[in-house]
Amino acid sequence: MSSLDNPTSTLPIGPVHVALEEPMYFRLDVEGETVRGVELTAGHVHRGMEALALRRTLFQNIVLTERVCSLCSNSHPFTYCMAVENLAGIPVPERALYLRVMAEEIKRVSSHLFNLAVLAHIIGFKSLFMHVMEVREIMQDVKETLYGNRMDLAANCIGGVKYDMDAELTRFLLSSLDRVEGAVRKIAKIYGSDVMILRRTRGVGLFGREDARGLAVVGPVARGSGLPLDVRREAPYAAYPRLSFEVVTEQDGDVHSRAMVRMREMEVSIDILRQCARDLPAGPLSVLLPEIPAGEALARSEAPRGELVYYLRTDGTETPNRLKWRVPSYMNWDALGVMMKDCKVSDIPLIVNSIDPCISCTER
Amino acid sequence: MFGFLKILAANVAKGPSTDPFPFVESPAPKRFRGKVRLNPALCVGCAICRHVCAGGAIHIAGRPDGSGYDFTLWHNTCALCGLCGHYCPTGAISMSSDWHSAHPQTEKYDWCERHFVPFLACEGCGEHIRPLPSALTGRIYADNDVDEAHLARLCPQCRQLETALHLGRNGHEDHKRA
Amino acid sequence: MKTTSGPDPRLLHGLETLSLKGGFHWTEDRTGNRFYWFRLDASEGLTRAAELLAAFEARMCTVTAYDPAREHGRTRHEIAYHFACAGTMVTVTVPLFEGTRSVPSITPHFRNADWNEREFMELYGINVVGHPNPRRLFLDETLDRGIMNRVIPVSVLMSGASSTDLWERILGGRGAEAETPGAGETEERA
Repeated sequence: MSSLDNPTSTLPIGPVHVALEEPMYFRLDVEGETVRGVELTAGHVHRGMEALALRRTLFQNIVLTERVCSLCSNSHPFTYCMAVENLAGIPVPERALYLRVMAEEIKRVSSHLFNLAVLAHIIGFKSLFMHVMEVREIMQDVKETLYGNRMDLAANCIGGVKYDMDAELTRFLLSSLDRVEGAVRKIAKIYGSDVMILRRTRGVGLFGREDARGLAVVGPVARGSGLPLDVRREAPYAAYPRLSFEVVTEQDGDVHSRAMVRMREMEVSIDILRQCARDLPAGPLSVLLPEIPAGEALARSEAPRGELVYYLRTDGTETPNRLKWRVPSYMNWDALGVMMKDCKVSDIPLIVNSIDPCISCTER
Repeated sequence: MFGFLKILAANVAKGPSTDPFPFVESPAPKRFRGKVRLNPALCVGCAICRHVCAGGAIHIAGRPDGSGYDFTLWHNTCALCGLCGHYCPTGAISMSSDWHSAHPQTEKYDWCERHFVPFLACEGCGEHIRPLPSALTGRIYADNDVDEAHLARLCPQCRQLETALHLGRNGHEDHKRA
Repeated sequence: MKTTSGPDPRLLHGLETLSLKGGFHWTEDRTGNRFYWFRLDASEGLTRAAELLAAFEARMCTVTAYDPAREHGRTRHEIAYHFACAGTMVTVTVPLFEGTRSVPSITPHFRNADWNEREFMELYGINVVGHPNPRRLFLDETLDRGIMNRVIPVSVLMSGASSTDLWERILGGRGAEAETPGAGETEERA
């Protein structure tokens, strides 16, 4: 690949590539097997969804935002509904606040399991990949049984939720959580001790705390570099002020740290779900909607990949004047330029996967 | 690696975890959000479902002769979000657990939920109206001793008049008793 | 209900003095999370505000450009810069008055402003002065800038919109039952 008079050469990777799960394009300057320079090109799945949102009513946008992405699909309509509620001062019933948290945490567990499974897949540990995906299948069944779909939960509406829990479903949820918890503990042990995994993930894709701050990364990427950023703690919403949970951090800022943050967060999520099932207050699921006045509002939540921000601007009509959302991958993707500097070409898929990128979210 | 071998062996012993569909049925859970169904006996034609539908999948049109209206829902543009059912005031729209959606291209425009909801003449003034479904009259007049079946066949104006007269009579009797 | 103390009063005071007349207020959500809103002049105020926010360790969340009057970019835009600071959100909005089509870059103070500025440059055709890498972010060079000013929904391009034409096809085969498709009180939606 290199010659004597020109030690570096250019290597294009993506947007369609066997080792990448998402349509991203990198133009790399490589010296032998080492990456010296990274240029990112985005925009392969830009669909103009924010323009579309301006032509949809406030109700229709609940459905549109749920289809921005599939892995964090619940976080979008949830945060969008919170923005509408903040704008119009709508009081969401207590029971709905807990049910919203449950939908969020169920999605978080599935999303993290998916990312960890893909890590095994990239390393070439196919049997572990299959096993983690099968554990995720327990959560998929939970979603299908509680909400009626494996990915799009359709749990939220403006002013509350559309679904309810009963004793039978709670029993089913708790027994499924027991099964997942047992399996996750075993998986955590493998990811924390397997020689092959450690050799491929430790010290790879290094991302220091200063860079994490400077590039304003969020979610497990920030927490894997020792920054305890979590919207659930920083600016609590829904039922989170009444739940106790730990903000998981790891200090090394490598692929392994980010994986272990996700691993430990699943146990935190399972614990939150048990608290919700125990404390779920009785009461209505949603409130009648007032007129939505003209104004502007923000809402944030902690999606599986990190902070999700929605900005809504209305002018008293049925359609928004502006609806903008910024997903965690927006900054985390930009951070790949730092993580991939001086890495080995063969580590690129692992580093990309370690930010758990969601391109369809980012480009909208 | 060694720790994983035990898990691997257990997984092999468990056998495949997928359903051998189509050789056996693969039923969906009770709450599965499958094809939307309309119960025409409960539909009052308020069109809130059409208003909130993100895909524009619902079409409601009155017949020119005033005999009723046609409800059409095209499954191919339905996003299965369930907002129609959530906002339906009478529970006429619901999601079934029918997840089968394969059909030939030639039948795509027929992939619909179609219903005709007839109008009747108001027993008071004769205007063409959608009679109130009995589930709804039962709820509205739960605490009143009225002839629900008759009220259901009145237009809103005649119904208002009728209930006012009825309450007036009852109130008068209550007063006499007291 | 909340325990975080909120942004430093010196930051809020500094931003308030930069604001246009009456251009400061705050709101709160039901949990007690605060949102501070400032409106200021684009040319001078924005750079000063960015300096201040950076000095008080605010984290830039995102930037929203919009067309407040739905005039499709014919006259003016506004740009809202959203920051997270000590558990609250601080939004600094700069209105672009007629004739002004540019704002200074805040990348010297916030590295992650890079992508956000490139995004509103290509979507709304606004210029950013002093951007270190002003190339396209998502849209291809062959597309004109300011695409949000004249949008064509992809669903229309791909015949996926729920149009009158589509409903004529769906109802068309049933001519006997629905004599005039679309008759009655119904209205069509693009």
